[in-house]
Amino acid sequence: MTKLKLDGLQKHYGTVAAVKGIDLDVAEGELVSLLGPSGCGKTTTLRCVAGFELPTGGRITFDGNEVTMLPPERRDIGMVFQNYALFPHMTVRENLRFGLEMRKVDAASMERRVADVLGMVQLTSMETRYPRQLSGGQQQRVALARALVIEPKLLLLDEPLANLDAKLRDEMRFFIRSLQKRVGITTLYVTHDQAEAMVMSDRIVVMFDGLIHQVGGARDIYDRPATRQVASFIGLSNFVTGRVAGRDGSLWRLETSFGTISCGAGIAPGAGSPATAMVRPEAIDLSAAPVAGAFPGRVSERFFLGNLVDYRITMSDGTLLQVQQPATAAFAPGDEVHATLPAERAWLVRDDAA
Amino acid sequence: MTAPSPTARPPGVRPRWLLAAPVLVTVAALIVVPYVNILVMSFRVPSTTKPYLPGFTFGNYTKALADPDFFYFELLFDTLRLALTITFLCLVVAYPVAFHLARTTSRWKGVLYALVLSPLLVGVVIRSFGWIILLANNGLINQSLKAWGMAPLPLMYNEFGVVLALVHVFLPFMILPLMGAIQGIDPRLEEAARSLGAGPAKVFWRVLFPLSMPGVQSGCILVFVLSCGAYVTPALLGAGRVHTMTTEVITLLDQFLWPFGAALALILSVVGLAAVAIYARLSGRLMRGLA
Ligand SMILES: Nc1ncnc2c1ncn2[C@@H]1O[C@H](COP(=O)(O)OP(=O)(O)OP(=O)(O)O)[C@@H](O)[C@H]1O
Ligand SMILES: [Mg+2]
Repeated sequence: MTKLKLDGLQKHYGTVAAVKGIDLDVAEGELVSLLGPSGCGKTTTLRCVAGFELPTGGRITFDGNEVTMLPPERRDIGMVFQNYALFPHMTVRENLRFGLEMRKVDAASMERRVADVLGMVQLTSMETRYPRQLSGGQQQRVALARALVIEPKLLLLDEPLANLDAKLRDEMRFFIRSLQKRVGITTLYVTHDQAEAMVMSDRIVVMFDGLIHQVGGARDIYDRPATRQVASFIGLSNFVTGRVAGRDGSLWRLETSFGTISCGAGIAPGAGSPATAMVRPEAIDLSAAPVAGAFPGRVSERFFLGNLVDYRITMSDGTLLQVQQPATAAFAPGDEVHATLPAERAWLVRDDAA
Repeated sequence: MTAPSPTARPPGVRPRWLLAAPVLVTVAALIVVPYVNILVMSFRVPSTTKPYLPGFTFGNYTKALADPDFFYFELLFDTLRLALTITFLCLVVAYPVAFHLARTTSRWKGVLYALVLSPLLVGVVIRSFGWIILLANNGLINQSLKAWGMAPLPLMYNEFGVVLALVHVFLPFMILPLMGAIQGIDPRLEEAARSLGAGPAKVFWRVLFPLSMPGVQSGCILVFVLSCGAYVTPALLGAGRVHTMTTEVITLLDQFLWPFGAALALILSVVGLAAVAIYARLSGRLMRGLA
């Protein structure tokens, strides 16, 4: 098993900066996702690790050995492409044997390893078929098998599920994750689907515009986003701006124009400085009767979502909050309500726009 | 009520093969009829006063195939050897060019493409004269060599000159199909092969080349057939010292031995087609996975 380390990785295409200096440590056997909007540099980062692109700055090491300028064929990686990139002129078996032949593995162990991996991806009966004779999901599994059969140091996947339909995608998420755990291979997984990243990863790297904004588990990223961009990329969020009024232990008091709220923070803003707090719509409680610490508002819109009701609440100062409540609670547009923003679910984020 | 028979057509709708009628007529008039004419002629008795005399004989074929000196066998062999050499050299020269053209993202791509096609815009006679100017005994190259005090080289009136000029003339016919085939290969396949541990040479022989086989096949067949039938360039650059079946056929026609020329031409066609068929079978086996 291998530790991957990126040190100030940069990649410029002419004047375009695709990756602007990122640091990342991936532990042995860990699955780390690169998550971010289109064009944020996920693929570029992955291709630098694979060796298809040479970085214009920084270092890449596998287990402490520098590979930054090594060609891909000398890095010992397994790669799964979005379109699978199976060799169309080779059968499933020949596709799997390719990497082993390059490694000059002897015939007996080659047979055994191909058979083992085909069993793992449940394609034993398909070994004499050509890729075009397989369904998308089966091709996907062959691609995975071809990458794993060489027992590479690292497994790299670039949006491997993007071409599958929704149901198969769900299945494959769990399939890939359990296979990765079973094999125990260090894995870098690129996706722009937040649900996919949350289900599959040990840790998620959230990138914007060539930079890492946050690295953490699904919970960290959802409940304690580092920046406003991370919060708005992952799930729904309300942003409340105000001025830092002071600190009570681990909580900060934020003075907003509809009242003072308490929130946690991963940053240490100076007292009196402007700041932005993030509250998830489902974290806000609504009640008809006044409650201690709740702020008055009025229901301006209501949408029925099946399991949830989605409200727009206009606060006393005109601030609009999105609130999601179980469908059992019922408020009608125009109703007076009292909104509680619990301190443990409110979080100060870095807001470069503010 | 009876079901309409499957071949029944609503009135007023013409059968679909009528659409092919113009092509069929053209092909019949320009290819089938002349070939039949040649076939018939090859069994006629030669004459020096008319194209041929009436009557029927196998004499033209026995003269070619039962020649005690094996002159025509050797000629056929030389022709095929020359065609194969040209085809092979064209493939070797064209592949890198086609690969580059297929994969380049340069904004000069259009210009490069036009450059590849440009030889086709100049008649083959003109191109052959161009080569003569370069390769002749007192041509540009030999004059330069003499000016530098070096001995002149025999560049023309031999196979070297003919092969060189024909490779040049037929290059576009190799580059275009190769380019089409290479453009259809997903560059990710090369990356996948490299990630699996294949160096550039292995990527080429195990992935790129097999996948470009359809282009290799059509390019080779085109150039081979064109080389077998080439007349102008061998005649001009060989200047009577390089003999192929085709130059021989023309010589015979000049001597009014039309039936014998027709027989030779047909022998070349049959052998050439057989070579193409064998080649297509062999290369077809390499393409079994390609849809
Ligand atoms: N070969 C290239 N030449 C020039 N610019 C490039 C090249 N490849 C990528 N870029 C640019 O680098 C930036 C990052 O691209 P990258 O492919 O890494 O994004 P991504 O995060 O994978 O996006 P997506 O989710 O759409 O796949 C983009 O702005 C892109 O336009
Ligand atoms: Mg991408």
